Parts: sequence; C-alpha cells; structure tokens
Amino acid sequence: MVNPLSLRHFYLRNKRKVIPVIGILALAIVGVVVTDSLLASARQTAYATFSSYQKLILVAPRATRDQDLANPLQQSLAQLKEVQAGVDALAGDQGISAYYASLSALPLELRARVPALDQLQRDAGNSRYYAARLRGDLTPLAQLITRVQRLQAEEQAFSRLADRLAQNPRDPAALISYLQNHQTWLRSLLPDISQLGQLQAAVTNASADLQGLQRSLEAANRDAASLNARSFSLPPIPPPPPSPEAQLRQFQASLDRLGQTLSSFEAPQADIDKLVAASRQIAGTDFAQADAYSNLNVNMLAGNAQFDLYGVSGSGMQQLLGLYGDRLKAGRLPRQTASEIALSEEVARSKGVGIGGQVGNSFDELDRLPDAFTVVGILEGPARVGLIPFDYMTQHYLFERRYEGLVVAPLAGHELQVHQALEQLVAGKPFRLFDWPYIKAKIDSLIQNLDTINRFLILLVTIVLSLVVGLLNNLFFKQRMNEFGLLAAIGYARWRLIGRVAWESLGVTLAAWVVGLGLGIGILSWFNQSFIVPHGLLMNVFDWGLLLSHTLPIPLMVFIFGMGTVAWQLLRLDPISIIERRD
Amino acid sequence: MLTAESVGLDYRNGGSVNRAVDGVSLSIDPGSFLGVIGPSGSGKSSLMYLLSGMKRPSRGRLAFEARDYAAMQAAELMRLRRRRFGFVFQQHFLINYLSVFENVLVGAVRRDHATAARAHQLLGQVGLADELHKRPFQLSIGERQRVAVVRALVHLPAIVFADEPTASLDQATGRQVVEVLGHFRQQTGGAVVVVTHDPDMLTGADQILHMRDGRLN
Repeated sequence: MVNPLSLRHFYLRNKRKVIPVIGILALAIVGVVVTDSLLASARQTAYATFSSYQKLILVAPRATRDQDLANPLQQSLAQLKEVQAGVDALAGDQGISAYYASLSALPLELRARVPALDQLQRDAGNSRYYAARLRGDLTPLAQLITRVQRLQAEEQAFSRLADRLAQNPRDPAALISYLQNHQTWLRSLLPDISQLGQLQAAVTNASADLQGLQRSLEAANRDAASLNARSFSLPPIPPPPPSPEAQLRQFQASLDRLGQTLSSFEAPQADIDKLVAASRQIAGTDFAQADAYSNLNVNMLAGNAQFDLYGVSGSGMQQLLGLYGDRLKAGRLPRQTASEIALSEEVARSKGVGIGGQVGNSFDELDRLPDAFTVVGILEGPARVGLIPFDYMTQHYLFERRYEGLVVAPLAGHELQVHQALEQLVAGKPFRLFDWPYIKAKIDSLIQNLDTINRFLILLVTIVLSLVVGLLNNLFFKQRMNEFGLLAAIGYARWRLIGRVAWESLGVTLAAWVVGLGLGIGILSWFNQSFIVPHGLLMNVFDWGLLLSHTLPIPLMVFIFGMGTVAWQLLRLDPISIIERRD
Repeated sequence: MLTAESVGLDYRNGGSVNRAVDGVSLSIDPGSFLGVIGPSGSGKSSLMYLLSGMKRPSRGRLAFEARDYAAMQAAELMRLRRRRFGFVFQQHFLINYLSVFENVLVGAVRRDHATAARAHQLLGQVGLADELHKRPFQLSIGERQRVAVVRALVHLPAIVFADEPTASLDQATGRQVVEVLGHFRQQTGGAVVVVTHDPDMLTGADQILHMRDGRLN
C-alpha cells in the first residue's frame, strides 16, 4: 500500500522545488567535471607530447637554445659606424698624430730637463699606433659583417624564391634547379665556416686593438696631468686629443656579444662526434646518435609547446622507432638529403597535415624547424615522435638556428647509471641533459599553477553552493513547518523526521551528482570527438578516480551543510507552537 | 483508561509563574465523550497537551492504562501518541503535496489493506468518497477539517483529542465533525475528548468539565 511519506511521493509531488536545486547542483558539477578533465587532458597531452624522453636522454648544447646571429651582427655594425667616425677623428691630422708631432717638436734642452716628457711621447705614440691599427681593423670588420649579413639574407631570399617557384607549376623546373645549384655554388664558394672564422678573427683583433688604444690614451692623459702638476717652468702641456671613450666602450660590449655568439655557434659542434663515440662506450647504453634536432610548435590545450624533432641518420630513425615500438602507418621515412619529415599521427593532426603536407617556420612562425619540410611519413605507436634527416639539417643551413646534440638511449633499468655517466662526460662542456624526470618536472610545474586555480575554484563552488542550497533548504523547510509540526505532534519521532529530511536531501544531491556527472561526461565525449582527437590532444573521459574525487565533495558538502541547518531546526522544533499558530 | 490526579502545568515567564493547569483530576473511560469547555486562556488546551502526553506535567500524576507518564521515556510517549491517540486541531494541518487519501494515511500506524479500507470507509462517512485524489487546496475548509478528523481516526485510537475542531467551521460543518466523532465512539469504543469554547459542540457528551484559570469548576 502507498506510503504517503515515501521519498518517491516527496520527489514527484515537489518537482518544481526539487528540480531547480538539482539543476543548480548538476550545472556546478558539470563545470567541475569539464574543467577538471580539460586540465587532466592538458597534463596527459603534455606527457604524451614529450613521451619520447621516457626512453632516451637528449644531450643538447646550452648556448644554442636561444642564440641568434642576426641581432649581434646588426648591433655590432651600428656601433662600428660610430666608432669608425670617432677613431677617424682621433687618428686624423688634428688628432693623436698631430699631438705626437707637437711633442716631438719640443726643444731637446727641455726634454733633457724633464724626462717625463719622453714617457708622454711614448704613450702618445702607442695611442697613435693603436688608433691606426683599429682604423685598419674596422674597415674589413665592417665589410665582413656586411658580407655575413648579406649571406644570411641571400640564403633566406633563395629559400623563399625556390619555395615560390616550386609551388607554381608553370615555372620551368630548370630555373628551380638553377637556383638550387646557385645556392649550392654560393655556399661552396663562400663556406660559412670560413666566413665565420674570418669574422671571429677580425672581432678578436678589433677587441685587442681597442683595448690597447684605451690603455695608451689613458696613460697619455695621466702623463700630461702629472707634468702640469709638477709646476716646472714650462708652458702648460696640452692634454691629448679627446678619446671617443663612450663609443669605444659600447663597441667593446657589442664585439664581446658578437664574439660570444660566434664561439657558441662553433664550439658545441666540434665535440659532438667525440661525445657520441664516448656515449656509446657507457655501460648500459643501447645506442647513441648525433641529433641535429629542431622543434615544431604544437598546441597542448594549456598553451603552446615546442615538440622535439629528432634529426638523426637513417639508421638512427630505425633505432628510434624500434626503441618506442612505433612504426610507419603511411608513407616512408625522410631521405637524408631532403627537407622531409615523418611525424606521429597525433602531432600531424595537431598541425593539420597529412602525407604531402608541409610544416616549418614558413608556415608557422613559432616553428623552430626552418623553412618548409614536407611530411613523407605518418607514424603510429605508443610514443609521439618526429623524425628529420641529420644530413639535411647539418649541411643545408648556414645561419638558421642550428641545434646539434646527441640522443642516448639507455637500456631498461640502466637509466640512472647512463644519466650519471653522461653528466660526467659533459662536465665542464657547454652541454646539458634533458631526460624524463626533468621534462616531467617542467610539465608538472607548468600545470601546477592551473591546478591550484582549479582547486581553488572547486572549493569556491562548493562553499557557494553549500550556502545557496543550504539557504534554499531552509526556505523550503520553513514552508513545510506545518508538516513537521503536525508529524511531531501526532507522534512521529524527532529522529525519524530528521532521517526523512536527510534522505530527501541526500536523494536531491545524489541525483544532481549523477545528472551532473552524466551531462559532464556527455559534453566531454562530444568535445573529445569533435576537438580533442582531431587536434592530436589526449583526454581520458572516463577517468573515474579524478571524476569521483573532485565531484563528490560538492554533493557531500552541500548535503552536510544543508542537512545540518535543517536538522538543527528540527531538533529545536516545538510542535505545540506550530499547532497553536493561528495563521 | 486514562487518569489524571491533581495535575498541574506551570509556565514560567521571567520571575513570575503562570499556572495554566492547576490541580485537575479526571478519568477517561473507554467509549466516553468528555467535553472540556471554558473561555479563551482558561487552560483547556494545556490540559489536553497534558492528557495526550505532548507536555509533561509540572506536578500531579497521569497514567494511561495504568502506565504512569512519568515513568515513560520521551520516545515511549511519542509511540503512545502515535499508536493509541488521535488528534484533531483547530487547523487541519494537511500536507499540501499529498492527496486526501494520502493525508489520511499519514495518521495510519499500519499501512495495510485493512487500513486502506477503513480510510475509504471513513472518508465515505464524511462525504468525501469522491475526493480521494484531490489535493487539500482543492477542498473547502470544512472538507479539509473532515479529512483531518478521518486522519485522526484511521488507526482506531483509544482516545481522540480534538482541540477546538470546529472553531474555523460554520455551524453545520462543525456539527458534521462532531457527528463523525460520535460515530467513531459508538463503532470502536474509543473515547473522545473535545476541547472547545462552544457548548453546542458538546451535545451528547458524557461529562462536561468547565475550566477557568486552570482549574475545574
């Protein structure tokens, strides 16, 4: 027979009051489910994007990460023009030479009486010497900087021209071939190493002469001041012509920067082969390969990141695929002599490319991979990998950012041992190690801030909802005061009434939780299919551990708070005061 | 069945003590109809609260079927009210989201077919056989009060306490309510205690107690 005080009766007969509460709670739970899962997705995607580090260690040069030759070149050239004008004035007819001549013309009798004049003359002579040398240094230095700049610009121009012609089928292939040959010819005629080497030597010379000039000018100034202070019965000795000191200092700093950049361009490259050979000797190493790596910009939901591309030899590509258990899903592996790339299918989706598509700096200015690389292979398997040819990366580019390091794959169980051996190997060298613990820590620290914000929001939502639903519960309770008063008066036990309200509240909050969770999962499933998967991102829609741990506190807190206030009122309920009311 | 010996109930208001009920002794026998009449504030409702166990007396002794109220825990008194007593108040206190039939079952101790049949029968007696599925807001005030009376009778209580049951009703409707209570008394042998200020409502009472200032005259 029907129980009029059953929960079913209560819910069915109070739909208008119960459904809004369920709706508010469910929406909040949907919000938590979605934000939580998106955050988890960001973390999972980041882990997956850099999953290749789980089985290898990248040994990369420290300095080349952010180096760029263009700026130091331009800054040095700009400073050089000002210094050139200053040094021209100093070394010119009215400058240090005229001063030296005036000292030489002093009478011998006077020079014999004041030997310090000889020192002043020697220092002025040194200044004249260094000014002349520096003047001589500056002209070829300016020419070299300009030539290197032109080389850089020429190569970029050739690359752009070749790309445009390749894209336009009406252009004769011979022209493209000619331009490519011309580029190769230009490179063979003016080897970049040679240019860079000459520039390096010119910078070193200019730096040394600059310091010599500054030292000698300072000495001459000191000499002149000292002579005048001694109060010989001499006419005052004029000071040496003014030194372009400020420009010289700025120029010195600019040359230092250029010198450092040139050094860092060359220094790591020389050690790579030795490092590869030494790494192969480390016990527990599976393989080691030179790696002319680069990067592609990929979206990770919580922001962009640089996906590592391994620039390895043909055998290296096979070794890497074997290491991860990845395989070619479509196409082939890149040739060593061509600007080709093979990408994991998720990364290809993320970049919106398939076989025949192109990636690189020409298409996405955030890609560190220079120019345009054609996708020739799509990879599938547990790890996300991008492969580019070592030979092409090391031989084709003069001035684009070149990163050359090595990848070392430790055998399972030997990761720490190999890591420590590599640390010793690169100690004192401009290299550093990138491995999974380091990468994971970086990802975690990036996600941590978002995680903190998310937790704070969940807490805020829980507190606000508890207050709101608690208030609604109380309003609802006031409306039902007659009901509870009657039941208490005719003999329903107080704890039975509290239990009834508790079941009612629990039912509402649990229903809201189930509805919210269901809606949230539905929205996430749709979002996963329509956005996450097509963009190569990762999302575990049914991460029950996460879903339960982050959503259950909401209905529980709401229940405890809402129920607590109502139970407190029920315990204080005086049925007589209610049945005696005359409203 | 129910005896009261020199019971009293005090209300404390600051330093002063208001003796709402003072030295009342009475006895209620099975099948009897006891009327308590008196002006407003005379203590008749308070007396009903004492007799029904809704309030503990400040002094004196109350016993139902020889069981002393003072020896009963609060839960036992609750059970007594729930199982052996029925209540009709001045207001109907029907639950708005329940139907007429469901409101009657709120008073039922057992929800079985016999109880359902009795509910139907009682509702028929008060002329509400066709209103079973209506909600309280769809009924007139008199109909609501009749439902409240049926709710008090559906579990066949030993005593029905009715506190001003006809105060909000017109004369004719009030008479109907009293008749229903009279039928109950005759058919089940249950006692009826009616607290009122209207002497017309006590026609046929076995005993009428007049109260003034908490005392029986």
